[in-house]
Amino acid sequence: MLNVSKIQHFSTGDGEGIRTTVFFKGCNLHCPWCHNPENLSNAPVRLHYRATDTDEILGRTVSVEEILPELLEDKAFFDESHGGVTFSGGEAMLQANALVPLARALRDRGVSVLVDTAGCVPYALFEQLNPFIAGYLFDFKTADEHQYREIGGDLSRILENLHRLQADRIPIFIRIPLIPGFNTSPQATRAICERLQALEIKHVDLLPFHRLGSAKYEAMGLEYAYRTQQPLTQEELDEIKAIYQAYFSVTVER
Amino acid sequence: MKLFESLNEELKQNTGTYAPYYFRYLGYKEDLSADYATLRANGIYSLFAAPVPVILKSEWIAGNQASLFCDETALVLNYAKSITDKFSQRSFITNKDHFAPDYRHILRTGLPGMIDEIDASMKMHQSSPEKTATLGAMKKSLGGFAKMIENYALRAEALESSPEFDPQRVRFIAQNCRAILIGPPTSFPEALQLVWFCHLAFTMEGRRAMALGRLDQYLYPFYKTDVEKGTLTEAFAIELLENVFIKLQNDTINICIGGQNQKGECEINPLSRCILRAVRSCNVPGPNLSLRYTQNTPDEFLDECLETIGTGLGYPAIMNDDVNIAALKKYGYAEADVYDYSMVGCIENFITGKQPPWSDGRFDTPRFFDYVFNNGQSETNRSVGLSLCRPEEISSMADFMTVFEKQLAFGVDEYVFKFNASNDAINQAFFAEPFLSCFCEGCIARGLDINCGGSIYPSVHGAAVMGIGTVADSLAAIEKVIFIDKAATLPDLRDALNANFEGYRTLREKLLAAPKYGNNDPFVDKYAVWFIDCLNALFAKYKTRDGGGIYIAAAANISNIYAGRIINATPDGRLRGEPLSDAASPTYGRDTRGTTSTLSSLSKPDYTKVACGSVVNQKFSPAMFGPEKRKKLIALIKTYFKQGGQEIQINATSRETLLDAMEHPEKYQDLVVRVSGFSAFYVTLEKDVQLDILNRTQQE
Repeated sequence: MLNVSKIQHFSTGDGEGIRTTVFFKGCNLHCPWCHNPENLSNAPVRLHYRATDTDEILGRTVSVEEILPELLEDKAFFDESHGGVTFSGGEAMLQANALVPLARALRDRGVSVLVDTAGCVPYALFEQLNPFIAGYLFDFKTADEHQYREIGGDLSRILENLHRLQADRIPIFIRIPLIPGFNTSPQATRAICERLQALEIKHVDLLPFHRLGSAKYEAMGLEYAYRTQQPLTQEELDEIKAIYQAYFSVTVER
Repeated sequence: MKLFESLNEELKQNTGTYAPYYFRYLGYKEDLSADYATLRANGIYSLFAAPVPVILKSEWIAGNQASLFCDETALVLNYAKSITDKFSQRSFITNKDHFAPDYRHILRTGLPGMIDEIDASMKMHQSSPEKTATLGAMKKSLGGFAKMIENYALRAEALESSPEFDPQRVRFIAQNCRAILIGPPTSFPEALQLVWFCHLAFTMEGRRAMALGRLDQYLYPFYKTDVEKGTLTEAFAIELLENVFIKLQNDTINICIGGQNQKGECEINPLSRCILRAVRSCNVPGPNLSLRYTQNTPDEFLDECLETIGTGLGYPAIMNDDVNIAALKKYGYAEADVYDYSMVGCIENFITGKQPPWSDGRFDTPRFFDYVFNNGQSETNRSVGLSLCRPEEISSMADFMTVFEKQLAFGVDEYVFKFNASNDAINQAFFAEPFLSCFCEGCIARGLDINCGGSIYPSVHGAAVMGIGTVADSLAAIEKVIFIDKAATLPDLRDALNANFEGYRTLREKLLAAPKYGNNDPFVDKYAVWFIDCLNALFAKYKTRDGGGIYIAAAANISNIYAGRIINATPDGRLRGEPLSDAASPTYGRDTRGTTSTLSSLSKPDYTKVACGSVVNQKFSPAMFGPEKRKKLIALIKTYFKQGGQEIQINATSRETLLDAMEHPEKYQDLVVRVSGFSAFYVTLEKDVQLDILNRTQQE
């Protein structure tokens, strides 16, 4: 069974073309800037939005058979745009066992699948999914192993996974969240660039920090550590982007 | 300052009283005992010939309504108005305007050639005094039109020595005016000047929404020749078009670009691009640009359209050419005429220059629920339908549909009766339209007025069927709550509706929880399909006064708000007085699954049965109009149209919208902010986070 929070049609920022994104519950990292806090835990959560006085319960278990029809609905849109389905989260890879039959069913019906991952899981899980998917949207958050440890990650494992995915010729789309105070200093930026360059990465997507998730923290009755963090200014973003551009071709996804 | 900016400034400087009636009066008073066609023509003659033209300093294409301001005394003006008012005018419902003139004809024959055609027809019809009078009136009105052009030529020539005017511009204007007085236009500027004078003349007559039709097609031969000869550059063509478009403010002037020919070839040409760019740089709401989109329209062109839309303009509206052509083919028009259709007003499909002016009306579909529930009587609407049965006697969904359809059939009967009666109540001959008739094929040859059998096709009418979303949601809610879940009975629902759901909160919640149109859910979408099939079939039984078809439209142009005000609460959970669903769209805020799902629902009804046209509005944040995201929008539109969608009008959410949404969240329930791995309804965000988005919008 799959533990899902939401299905989002016409996703335009989760890989090539028009995509339907499935958000899976549960995560092994705890990044304090996270914009999908409802997906951190495995358990269903209730959100109450004060602004509209509406309630939402996120989290349900579904079978492949139950979820498949909705994911196939937009097939014509996928075909026209080279889009498909994106597994996101949370950390979708934690449900790799259950994802395999879904990814296979989609592939068999001509739907391309991308997986959005922070990559901090054993490579064995990747190996299960690799045959059925078109690639990974691979988050790379920092080149500093202490920083990774702070958010529950393991840099060496991530690097190893990246390396092995390349060896197995699985397409990787590196995505770097630009988190002010965490990984946006010139020093931190260059460190990330050098790590990735060493892996022969040619292109990166930059995802500038936003606090659009703050309403969800409020709706869950949680404090959001980044509640008052201002987004990067255009100038700051341009400076960071310029550094990345010295190493890679760059797109800013927003 | 750019040309259109300085023109805009100059256009605002008028003194005196705007008094077109005064200039008509000058003609009427010459012979008040003449026949009606002649009387009208005399009024039109002086309306065109008497005013002193005003030429603006920065223009290349002359002609504006400033000439209709005059300094006569109040006594004279009031008296003149009292005479002109006696002649009265047609209204929208009696075929006054919303017309796409046959500009191809006058561009081919020229003004003198058109007058020759009238002379020839007069000779042919000399035994018929009525036809001779009608043709004489046409000739007289064209004489006034020619005099107007000559006045512009004289004025421009007089200004050549004025130090305040650019001699190059006024000479250009004078030469173009002189050229179109003596023969057909031979260059792009002459052709554009002639078309503009025609359009100006129609507006001087008091007509609105006079479409320019397929401007990129009928002007292209002139453009092409001039560019090949080296006498015209693309930049100058755009400047000339801007000169015209900036004068279209405070009106809805449909301009059609693109489309396919009978061989299925896409007819986008370099002039289509010039028109798009000119509309974009003017950035005023008057030129209502429509793209006839075919699947073989180049992606680059659609991309440039989307880029234009992304600037906040909201145009062009994108029409599915395949669907419109299939719809029009059902009405027996010659195939070539179908392929040459264009739009008038907002979206109405029109056989260009070959049928009388358009008329529309509003058919308040959800009103008929009230008659089903109250045995033919509506307290809210103060109106009466058929007395068929009480809701207690309806025991299945199929029965409910049968009764509802009978009430609708009666409603259509009532609607067409009212429409035809308002047309039959006027004396068509009294309301002769001699000038307009010259721009509709058939009138000159037949010697008949455009509204009296002159046009080669009869008048058609558009019945705008309100509330497809409201009705589909209502029927689905009845099926689900009453007949499947049996959570209430039809009499319970009647009581709830008549109480505007006061005291029926639980029932209303159940109705609101039933499937809603716009989420690609077949349970409810089937009722939208039925809605179009049913209403088209009902209206298809009727004809207009002169034998034309009655099309249906799924368009509202905010009239869904007015309709909603006089309609009782509906079974979908809508409260009394609330707006109905807009145009062809789902009820606002109820399509929650995302744009692909919305459009998948919306493409299910058979729009080849909606010959008038439909409107689907979709809003996206400015970030969706960057080069990479536009590719996704292109794929979205193509797929939606392949699935049978008829129209889409896309808007970029402006800064003003976002600010307004902070103040009035209830109006913006479905405003989505998309970022990677995330999307949120804007109204659920905190104020300072909403401001982040505002600032981002500004950066983009």
